[in-house]
Amino acid sequence: MAAASSLTHPPLGFGLGLRTDHYESILAGPRRVDWFEIISENYMVPGGKPLHFLDRVRAEYPLVMHGVSLSIGSTDPLNRDYLRDLKILAERVQPAWISDHLCWGGVAGKNLHDLLPLPYNRETLEHVAERVQQVQDFLGRRLLLENVSSYLTYKRSEMSEWEFLREVSERADCLILLDVNNIYVSSVNHGFNPIDYLEGIPAARVQQFHLAGHRNLETHIIDTHDEPIVDPVWNLYREAVRRFGPVSTMIERDDNIPPYEELLTELDHARAIAREVLSPDAKAREGRNGCSIAAPSKAGARRGASVAAARLPSE
Amino acid sequence: MDTTLNKLQGDFQRYLLTLDGPMAKEVVSDALDAQTRLGIYADAYRLRLLEALQTDFVALRAVLGDDEFDAMGRAYIDAYPSQHYSIRHFGRNLSRFLAETDPYRATPVLAEIARFEWAMTDAFDAQDATVATVADMAAVAPGAWPSLRFGLHPSLQRIELQWNAPPIWKAVDENTDIPEPQQAEYPIGWMLWRNEFKIYFRSLSVDQAWMLDQLLTGATFSEVCEGLTEWIDAQHVAAHAAGLLKQWLEDGLIATIDY
Repeated sequence: MAAASSLTHPPLGFGLGLRTDHYESILAGPRRVDWFEIISENYMVPGGKPLHFLDRVRAEYPLVMHGVSLSIGSTDPLNRDYLRDLKILAERVQPAWISDHLCWGGVAGKNLHDLLPLPYNRETLEHVAERVQQVQDFLGRRLLLENVSSYLTYKRSEMSEWEFLREVSERADCLILLDVNNIYVSSVNHGFNPIDYLEGIPAARVQQFHLAGHRNLETHIIDTHDEPIVDPVWNLYREAVRRFGPVSTMIERDDNIPPYEELLTELDHARAIAREVLSPDAKAREGRNGCSIAAPSKAGARRGASVAAARLPSE
Repeated sequence: MDTTLNKLQGDFQRYLLTLDGPMAKEVVSDALDAQTRLGIYADAYRLRLLEALQTDFVALRAVLGDDEFDAMGRAYIDAYPSQHYSIRHFGRNLSRFLAETDPYRATPVLAEIARFEWAMTDAFDAQDATVATVADMAAVAPGAWPSLRFGLHPSLQRIELQWNAPPIWKAVDENTDIPEPQQAEYPIGWMLWRNEFKIYFRSLSVDQAWMLDQLLTGATFSEVCEGLTEWIDAQHVAAHAAGLLKQWLEDGLIATIDY
């Protein structure tokens, strides 16, 4: 387990994504989550209902800002309008931190509104690290970069995603938002061991976890955020908590949004896992036995099924 | 910038936009081949944008039907790729697209429904403002009236429509029978605005539309009255204009009364 890091902010506990459907329940009921994450772009508007509810929720809860449009890996110049609007929103929200994705979203002035993967090689590394530094200078704070789900590998990639993420974070001195579901989704889609991923991530830079559901199409998994979290992702979360400690955790639900209560129950499951892993008893047990986790092998990905990995975290 | 990464991103984008080009050569084929892997992104690209259109153009979708809306949306996606960082703005050109593109331009009500729905979208998250009240107007000294100017609520959208898009929208919203498209003899002015979090819309008579547009350009009360004599008898014009102002104050349309 990681020691408390001087790089990261104190953990916020267990949060949810702030969604329109839940505004009234959140404000009407007792405080049942520790914090909320907003999709920054949804509130980068002049006024009206979104900003009204944003302010009201912010008055009662810590918030973090999660963007989808930074396009940090694009070869287009950084979008100055976007950065300006992001900074204005940050001044309003005073978020605990700001995150976006390790990806690109378009070139030549077009926006594809997707989180497209980058080729993991030296050229991209230098490009991304430099841009992260520019963004951090502009915002006056460290940025969190999140690993995305991906469905393809470039022939030009020279290193694994986790090696790339580690290098970017260290070169640019940024933080990491580790999406546990995305690690799992990509591990199946590309046939790697998700434990290798966790092992490659510098613990001192992990500020936040994402959890989410996905859709398994047998030949591959699509990261849809419209289903409950599945057991293999819970297992990987368990392992992530064991490795990185009490990191701020939230559930992303973007579609097929259930009642607030249902997400609270799902969040309680995350709390229970973290409590169990971090309790002194659990650590003692782990010391004796280690712990196994379902991890898809390359063969498993080919067959469209996950296979319990023989490999233990302590190996 | 012309680098390997730039070229790769250009090829990838070209594939997503046109389903064409050399991108497949850059992608590893294994359990799934490169084409299938690229196809996942190409599908997701269109589905995400279609979903944004479905959210913003509910009435248009009801009028066209799901399949036709889907086909129209895909043609729009190809014609007007997003240029804004936020997907919120993606539908901005849909009305223009429908007005200029076969076969949709043969049914002009479609472009007007899109225009009306987009005006609602713009009113929804326009800037907030406190509103002036009838009491504020009553407090104005008679001598100050001629030089008064009025600041309108930032959510106000002024559009002209020649077809019955608003009643069609209303029927869809209330889940009642959608009226047949109907063309008016001349374009009719409409205003849409937000009060609290609700969107309102109302048609305007010619003099009302003219007066509202004058207020938007910063005309004074006396200038407005003078112009209104085109339609209103000079003897009654001040009372008529004051009556409209009172109505608009009650509607929450007027943000400031400026001396």
